[in-house]
Amino acid sequence: MESVLLKNIGKPDAHRIENYVRNGGYRALAAALKLAPEHIIQMVKDSGLRGRGGAGFSTGLKWSFIPKDPTVAKYLCCNADEGEPGTFKDRGIMDNDPHLLIEGMIISSYAIGASNAYIYIRGEFVFGARRLEAAIKEAYERGYLGGDILGSGFNLDMYVHRGFGAYICGEETALLESIEGYRAQPRKKPPFPALSGLYGKPTVINNVETLSCIPAIIEKGPEWFAGIGPAKSPGPKIYCVSGHVKKPGLYELAMGATARDIIFNHCGGMLRDDRALKAVIPGGVSAPLLTPKDLDTPLDFDSLAAKGSMLGSGAVIVMDSSTCMVKTAYIINRFFSHESCGKCTPCRDGTPWLTKILRRLEHGEGRAGDVEMLESLCDNIFGRTFCPLGDGAVMALRGALKNFREEFQYHVDHKRCMAC
Amino acid sequence: MVTVKINGKEITVEDGTLILNAARDAGFEVPTFCYQADLIGIGSCRMCLVEIEGQKKLQPSCVTPVLHGMSINTESPTVVSARAGVLEFLLANHALDCPVCDKGGECELQDMVYRYGPHKGRHAEPKFKFHEKDYVLSPVIIKNSNRCVQCVKCVRVCREVVGANVLTSLNRGDHQEETSFLRSFLDCDQDGNCIEVCPVGCFMRLPYRYKTRPWDLKGADTVCPYCATGCRMVIEHRDGVVIRARAQLGVGLNSETLCARGRFGFDFINNPNRLTTPLVRKRGALEPASWEEAMGLIKKNFSVGGGKVGGIASPRLVNEELYLFQKLFRTVFNSPNIDSSSRWDPLAVESFVSAASMHEGGVSIFDCMASDTLLIIGSHLSDENPVTDYIVRRISANRRMNVIIASPRAMKLDSSATQLLRHLPGAEDSVLEAIILNLNYDKLPDETLKPVKDARLEALLSTAGALDKEIKAIARKLGASSTVAVIAGTDFLRAPQSIPALGLLKDLLRSRGKKVTVLPALDRCNQRGAWEMGVHPGFGPGYSRVDKKGLGCDGILAAAEQGELDALYIAGSDVASMYPDGEFAAKALSAVKFLVVQDIFLTETAKLAHVVLPGASFAEKEGIFTNQEGRAQIIRKLLPPPGKAKRDFDIIRAVGESFDPSFGPKNPVLVLDEIRKEAPMYGDVSLVFNNKKNIEDKLDNRAALVKGAQSAALKVSRIEPRADLGGAEQFPFRLVTGNHLFHSGMLSRMSSSMTGLLNAAVIEISEGDADALGLRNGDKVSVRGAACEAQMTLRTRKGSGKGMAFVAENFEDAPVARFFRRGKGAPRVAITKI
Amino acid sequence: MNGRTKGFNLLELIKKVVFTDFVKGLSITLGYNVSRSITQRYPDEEKWIPYRRWRGLHYLNRDAEGRELCVACELCSKACPTQCITVVPMEDDSGRGIADRVAKVWKVDLVRCLYCGYCEDACPTRAVRLGREYETACTDLASTVRRREELLVPQALAENIEGGVLVKSRLVRTPEGIKVEPDLRRHKKRSL
Repeated sequence: MESVLLKNIGKPDAHRIENYVRNGGYRALAAALKLAPEHIIQMVKDSGLRGRGGAGFSTGLKWSFIPKDPTVAKYLCCNADEGEPGTFKDRGIMDNDPHLLIEGMIISSYAIGASNAYIYIRGEFVFGARRLEAAIKEAYERGYLGGDILGSGFNLDMYVHRGFGAYICGEETALLESIEGYRAQPRKKPPFPALSGLYGKPTVINNVETLSCIPAIIEKGPEWFAGIGPAKSPGPKIYCVSGHVKKPGLYELAMGATARDIIFNHCGGMLRDDRALKAVIPGGVSAPLLTPKDLDTPLDFDSLAAKGSMLGSGAVIVMDSSTCMVKTAYIINRFFSHESCGKCTPCRDGTPWLTKILRRLEHGEGRAGDVEMLESLCDNIFGRTFCPLGDGAVMALRGALKNFREEFQYHVDHKRCMAC
Repeated sequence: MVTVKINGKEITVEDGTLILNAARDAGFEVPTFCYQADLIGIGSCRMCLVEIEGQKKLQPSCVTPVLHGMSINTESPTVVSARAGVLEFLLANHALDCPVCDKGGECELQDMVYRYGPHKGRHAEPKFKFHEKDYVLSPVIIKNSNRCVQCVKCVRVCREVVGANVLTSLNRGDHQEETSFLRSFLDCDQDGNCIEVCPVGCFMRLPYRYKTRPWDLKGADTVCPYCATGCRMVIEHRDGVVIRARAQLGVGLNSETLCARGRFGFDFINNPNRLTTPLVRKRGALEPASWEEAMGLIKKNFSVGGGKVGGIASPRLVNEELYLFQKLFRTVFNSPNIDSSSRWDPLAVESFVSAASMHEGGVSIFDCMASDTLLIIGSHLSDENPVTDYIVRRISANRRMNVIIASPRAMKLDSSATQLLRHLPGAEDSVLEAIILNLNYDKLPDETLKPVKDARLEALLSTAGALDKEIKAIARKLGASSTVAVIAGTDFLRAPQSIPALGLLKDLLRSRGKKVTVLPALDRCNQRGAWEMGVHPGFGPGYSRVDKKGLGCDGILAAAEQGELDALYIAGSDVASMYPDGEFAAKALSAVKFLVVQDIFLTETAKLAHVVLPGASFAEKEGIFTNQEGRAQIIRKLLPPPGKAKRDFDIIRAVGESFDPSFGPKNPVLVLDEIRKEAPMYGDVSLVFNNKKNIEDKLDNRAALVKGAQSAALKVSRIEPRADLGGAEQFPFRLVTGNHLFHSGMLSRMSSSMTGLLNAAVIEISEGDADALGLRNGDKVSVRGAACEAQMTLRTRKGSGKGMAFVAENFEDAPVARFFRRGKGAPRVAITKI
Repeated sequence: MNGRTKGFNLLELIKKVVFTDFVKGLSITLGYNVSRSITQRYPDEEKWIPYRRWRGLHYLNRDAEGRELCVACELCSKACPTQCITVVPMEDDSGRGIADRVAKVWKVDLVRCLYCGYCEDACPTRAVRLGREYETACTDLASTVRRREELLVPQALAENIEGGVLVKSRLVRTPEGIKVEPDLRRHKKRSL
């Protein structure tokens, strides 16, 4: 498949605007500014683009919820708080091809009528933030940002807002709170951000990868986009492969590639040929893992949901037979308990409890009944938290418990690991 | 209206009702931690999860409004197990130190676990501890974060209701702690609302710490004895020592909120310096005596008719006592010389009552807050009436309304204002007249408007120190509103020349078909009651006409100074400390031939008396306080008066009976019956309060508001401004007085908690003035007036007007009254660093 | 029937001649003369040491480091059916108690107390126990109220002593009153 999102990556000085323009950049913007905003929204709807941040909500539909009233200020926020372990696709785009994102954001802002756009970037991405700021400056200088963009009468200001390293800021309403200067904790929904978001105004929040798809949709048309991959979730998708493979990295493939295809065709197979594949996490650590028997499941939103997992951010983490599932679950859970924002009770007090039990299991201090306790605590957390991150925290553990229960039990019974 | 089904029971509720409230209306209990009717819902504790048919996940009922046709289940097995699960999580890191926790016995977490919780603990891991020892956050607040359930009510009440914004959440996840920034010592209102809303023993009262268990306390419903907001509260004692005052959720207009004075200032009741026996002056010194001896002296020295006698009663006495007091003077002593205030001029009071339409009946603060525009003028509301301030802040934040604040000093409520006006002190008249000039006035008769029409806007603006565009903006907002509420404070009584303008603005807006409500903001708990009982030389009970007008406090003192006063009976008032011109007051009181003072402490006034009678504090009697709104609220007796002290009612009655054995009525209940007859506005005042837990936001008890009694006796008089003391070059600051946030009159000075919060006098000037003088916050300064000098600590305030210094009138070491000169305007002072 | 009344009963006669009934009765009397006495010579020589489960006079415990276990939670006074226990807490973080909350007043009115042991059950820190001291008779009501200071003094009978025995004792008369001093080394099992 022709590369769309990663097309400029690897080219020398691809982050500079002259190189971007030379490679055909900002042509889509010029084309888009000639179209009516409603037309762009319709194009995005027709393309079938679904949000790449994790939930997979239709982008065009999300935009169409924004009120059309021109007197109301509207905002576009780009969620670049890429905090999910194993995910590094947004960083790839921002570090190496910032103008692709900026162009996508300008077109999106034009479509929804926003005159202010924010890029909420993770605090640790110092390099990316500097690249973006430099790129925005270049775009201002060339007249792609600021007042009367390309003579269309459309005004847009763009800001980079750096976070301070909290996973919760990837949750869209917590991200808004953080931009407003409050503690990053999710807000209650409804009202949804499309009606009352940033500063109480209609706001669209999209992922970096989602927004980076927009120029291509404008340029090549929604039909082209819809033709890539499965009909229900079309388009190119960046898979971030990490773990026990020969060639980890970013792979832009048509949506719906199977894990087998990714691992064995694109990544060169398992890291050590003598170790078999044990499990694959298909979409970031909050996604329940897949076992080798599910390797042929297409990695797209619907197919994975049918298997009880999810595509999430598209972070494919490959684990071979030397991996201890208890340790994996412990590390993942420790991450979630450390990153719990503290707002709701089940996530705040439940995840540390899980972590304490998993830590004991991992350190050979398991007690009889621990596995049942883990399951029961997962049940008490799942579906009762304020935001989806609490659910995400237990989904991975539930998946591990479902598929590798005997390994957990082995830790309890023998006080040591089965795998290592 | 929407109809929903809750646990199979159909109920019809208003649109937008929360599921939680609908379920409670339907009679089902839904437990909550983070929900509070007055605060913005956050839905974080997950205790109130309910099952909604057709929705996969359980939904938080405290933030989810009902939709038509919803079928909700609050008792399903999933819901029950979710509650138990949440409680199990809350207990996981809870300290479980109930035996030493002050909240043990009235803790919401205890109750919930008992009722809904897992009765078996599964958490066998090490607990996270924030700290080993409780830490002190302020002189009245102590904190133990290990018990926290993270409902964040403390932070929310601090931000949304109190407006102090001193609490926050630190850290994240299970390390999240609600406390001050960096756990530092709090410099805030110290009102302890964070303590009251805390469902567990996380925020605790320091004065109450480890004194008792809640089940050992005996309590009585009462009303706060400080300002006239009239907050309902419960005071509780153990073994005769009052150790706690608390407000109750949904009771009284204040609901769960109180200010520092109300919550911590009750301990004057058990002050060891309370008067416990009558004192009689013998050979120049006051010595203990029997009641018979004291009464005998009174009988000998007071003459019925003939001689000139006067009476001053405190506006902190209950209505029954005040009624009897004026009856004693008007019928037994045949003297109209009575007053209920040592500070206000009787003519000013009469004008204020009329201008603020107090004779038209009670006005609820909630009615004011339901209007389009609220104008706050002449009151430093945040310090004088803190709970009124909370109500204004809370309701205005959730409503589209204009809040206009005109005040010389910056205050906490400024952040809620949509329009702010800093005017010069004492220039309320110019401000109001300038507003009137900008309003379209064509319906009022010419003669009422004449003084205003003659005025020139430029002159008014310069005396007010206001900008034209500010006044225009205010006038525009007033003109565009169909309902206007005005909160008019005691500064009108301090500068009485402003009162006619207030009345005029009210009449003008009314003449244009607007609904105008005026709420007087007063600073003594029963000041309005005292006026309505007729303790005033110019009008009788229910603002009725009196045949003969008498002398007010000022006139009485003047007569005394001339040696014309035979006897003076002061009940509860500290005239010597509060009368503006302390020197004159002391001289006049010493010249009274026979001075009887009835009080609970040996005040400066009592020290000058010939006979001192020990009275009772608010905790030791029953009666009615009428707050500034005209809400008559009952207080109940908690303790007997100490020693030989008696209820003031009994003392006044005994004095009356010694002259006229038929003087009565004999008990407060009969007095109330007589009040209902004499003052028709009290005719059908209901004293029954619903003390039930109020889950809605309906705290207004209209049944207790006094009704209107149209009185023609009152009129607004033009009062010429008093001549300035002068000396602007020598004394650059104009002195502004009022109550401090932690003090009210001299009463709070007897409370060790309040003196612990602030003991020595402070002088407050604007930051700009301080910079110009090279002074800094906290400096010790010498404050010098034409007649008096005192040392104080300097406080600077951002945003206050220039050339103005505020000194609270509560400190005996900085006797503000001594800066004043009788018959003269506001004094000026100079500030120098020591 | 006639035969029996008229007939001569030699056995009866012999019984009458040798006073068998009298001897039988006397033998019981004489038997007691030589048998072991069941009278406890209390208080002059002996004292009964009750079993551990005995519920006698209260005492307040300390932990191994000598800190008072009582945290003045007042649960004992709440649980008391006769309201004979009064507790007033206070703050003291000098290490007097295991928590910074200690009892300012802890007193029990022994006249009201019915020794039900509810206080013991209610105590979350095992601070209050009912001991085996039972000599609480006194001549004035004032001394029936025992205060914290007295109750913190360890009772003469340590917990580890098995009860249910009679021990040698001595009646001591002092100006403060009379006291029965047991000698725990010399005891005997008392048969019930």
